[in-house]
Amino acid sequence: MDGNHSEATTPGRKGNLTGSARKLKDDAADWHNLILKWDRLNDEGSTTATKIVNCRISEKSVKEPDVVEEDGSSVAASERRVNKSSQELQEECVNLQNIVDKMAHVLSKMEKMVSAEKGICELEMFQYGAKGRPAPLFQTWSTQQFAEVSSRLYEAYRQELALKQTILQELAHTANTDLSMVYLSSWLYQPYIEDSTKLLLESLLMETGHRTL
Amino acid sequence: MSQEALLSLRQELRKCFRSLEASRTVWGSALEECSPLLSSLGNLAEQLRALKCVELLNTPLAKFPDLQERLQHKLTQAADTVLSKLTEKMDALQVVKDSISKQVFALFQLYEQNSDFLDLRSCVARSAISPSIADMLEWLQDAEYYYRVQYVQRSSLLQMLKPDDLTLMETAPKRWASLDSPSREERISDALFQVSFFLESE
Repeated sequence: MDGNHSEATTPGRKGNLTGSARKLKDDAADWHNLILKWDRLNDEGSTTATKIVNCRISEKSVKEPDVVEEDGSSVAASERRVNKSSQELQEECVNLQNIVDKMAHVLSKMEKMVSAEKGICELEMFQYGAKGRPAPLFQTWSTQQFAEVSSRLYEAYRQELALKQTILQELAHTANTDLSMVYLSSWLYQPYIEDSTKLLLESLLMETGHRTL
Repeated sequence: MSQEALLSLRQELRKCFRSLEASRTVWGSALEECSPLLSSLGNLAEQLRALKCVELLNTPLAKFPDLQERLQHKLTQAADTVLSKLTEKMDALQVVKDSISKQVFALFQLYEQNSDFLDLRSCVARSAISPSIADMLEWLQDAEYYYRVQYVQRSSLLQMLKPDDLTLMETAPKRWASLDSPSREERISDALFQVSFFLESE
């Protein structure tokens, strides 16, 4: 056990980690990768959402002149255009749905890590009692801290997903351009992911030796 | 003595025009990098305005805690980032402007020191391959003035911008573009064309 400790505290020697340290270090890497994936999906989704709003705007501007137009043929032509744009709108909505589904999948992986880390804490409680293990697994953090960081990260992304699901449902149905814009900026700027969230991730990576000073 | 003064003045003129030509390229590319920043600033202002106009409590977003403040913070932060990038670009423009001013100032100093030896006739004389010294001095002075004024106008436009003044931010891209002066730019490139033979004749 003691041998494990000294090896666990040496960052960069991946092969030697076992048990809880191995699991926590892998989780840290997973956090990094999942968040990267999330950010990519977020950019993709932002492009799609912008297309949806543009579709809606052009639809409105096509529909309006129809009221005054008397000529049957041009009405038919603009109707075709409306059909075409609503088809496009439908496609983009499906795209956005897919992106949100993928984000939900990312979140479910995050959730699994949170519960696994809770399990690690409970195991430690069982092994060492309320005081926890005598020496930290990596540099300074107690195992409890890993679980706390994971659940804080998870909370931020959970709130973001809920926001995105709402945007997905409402975006194509709103006629208010200001509200559409608020939806778009909420999507892109991710208001529930704060600077401190990014800092948490960086400290997690540093603690586990994925990042060096 | 007069011949010597004339020679050194011509040499200095060549140097000045060469560095003007180089500075002009640097200026142009720095300015080009500013326009996308300005338009994203205008865009952010539009988003902040939309956020202000929407009563979030009456929308499906009502259930999200402090969304308004959080989004406002994010957008303002983004605007700050763009503004600081613009400040960097302005620093680059200032370097260009300062170097042009310094060169032209030094040239005029040289001219004034030697003005006793330079007779009017040789200053206004021109040939097929060389414009007159008087003309060249004027062109350089005009160019220096142009960059100086451009810099002051553009930097004061940026200094007035604040993330909480949306109207100013929204109109910034337009006002920035209106500072462009193609005719004055053209006069500088005309001058550079006219001295091209003179620059080659050393």
